[in-house]
Amino acid sequence: MDAMEKHIASLVADAGQVQSASSPLRLWLKWMGVAVVYIVVSLLFLGVRPDLPAALHNGLFVAEMLLLVAIVATTALSATLLAFPDMYQHSRLVLAPIAMFVLFVAVIFLAWQADNPPAPPPVHSFECSLTIAVLALLPAAWMFYSMRRLASTHRRAAGAVVMLSAFSIGAITLRLSEQTNSIMHVIEWHYLPMIAVALLGVWLGKMLLKW
Amino acid sequence: MTEPPVTLEILMQQALAGDKRAYAELLRETARFVRPYLAKRLSIPGDVDDLLQEILVSIHKARHTYDGKRPYKPWVFAIAHFRLQDYLRSYYADQLRDATELSEVENSLSEHVTNSDFTYESIIGEVHQLPEKQATILEMMHQDGYTAKEVAAKIGMKESAVKVAAYRAYRILKEKLSR
Repeated sequence: MDAMEKHIASLVADAGQVQSASSPLRLWLKWMGVAVVYIVVSLLFLGVRPDLPAALHNGLFVAEMLLLVAIVATTALSATLLAFPDMYQHSRLVLAPIAMFVLFVAVIFLAWQADNPPAPPPVHSFECSLTIAVLALLPAAWMFYSMRRLASTHRRAAGAVVMLSAFSIGAITLRLSEQTNSIMHVIEWHYLPMIAVALLGVWLGKMLLKW
Repeated sequence: MTEPPVTLEILMQQALAGDKRAYAELLRETARFVRPYLAKRLSIPGDVDDLLQEILVSIHKARHTYDGKRPYKPWVFAIAHFRLQDYLRSYYADQLRDATELSEVENSLSEHVTNSDFTYESIIGEVHQLPEKQATILEMMHQDGYTAKEVAAKIGMKESAVKVAAYRAYRILKEKLSR
């Protein structure tokens, strides 16, 4: 018996009945359900911004929120697909967040143009980034935990989309909770940190998704 | 009536259900079609076997991520490609770690030649024990008096490669002679 046959024999000896992992769609639905519950529970603790009904009459605010939701949904979908070695043979869907980010940047640009004269910025600054990061901790941990049970062959990309998804959950929560109309503040302290978070995700993915 | 052919997808479904015979056959078939893919990309046959074994282990570990509802080969090749990239990354990292900086060579090349306590003739025995290419280079540089550039032109190597080979030869000789 040659070395390869011996190797195969040892793997076969170790094999038994195996339960297939949930499909990416089921995993995604589960994540989305958890995200909705998490945002609702967080808002119960933080409180909803008092001017929310008025803000919802602002088309750009609504577009911003809808695109944040779309970012959460597409990054989570991308992450679930990236958790499978072959991306469940839907590699194009993995790129879906890119379109959402492009639209999001366009909406933020329009909101910045519309912010004239600029709304007064709040007195706080980095506290917002910190709050979003804290809010993102649990979703990120949950997603990484779920993904570690699968087998990603694109660990860095998977880590980046997980962190973007989690951070976007935090961003939605804070945007519905914090009463501010200063788009410059929101860009600087809510959305620009996303870049750093994505880079952190690249590193975390490499470290946490080894198999 | 003939039975339908047993595809890799069916073999995998049977393997996931606990059929060890199907699993063994599947792994054998997988090794058969992955081997040429690796052989095309790796030059050392021993490395192909080692990596193939590693890929089979990865398939074994990740088999729960295959549900039999999609083609088997793309799933396998995704894993094979991933492990190949890992292997090449560590291979080139090792190569870089062991690489010699050309500036290091340039700085010490003249020092070895001029500040030596030995003549070339007195260490010719040690020179001949060096790998053939290194021995030839030293012989041409120190016995025949060629420069590194001339040696490079004569033996069809780059000048920098000749300098690196000479530098490595000096290091080996220095170690041997200082014992």
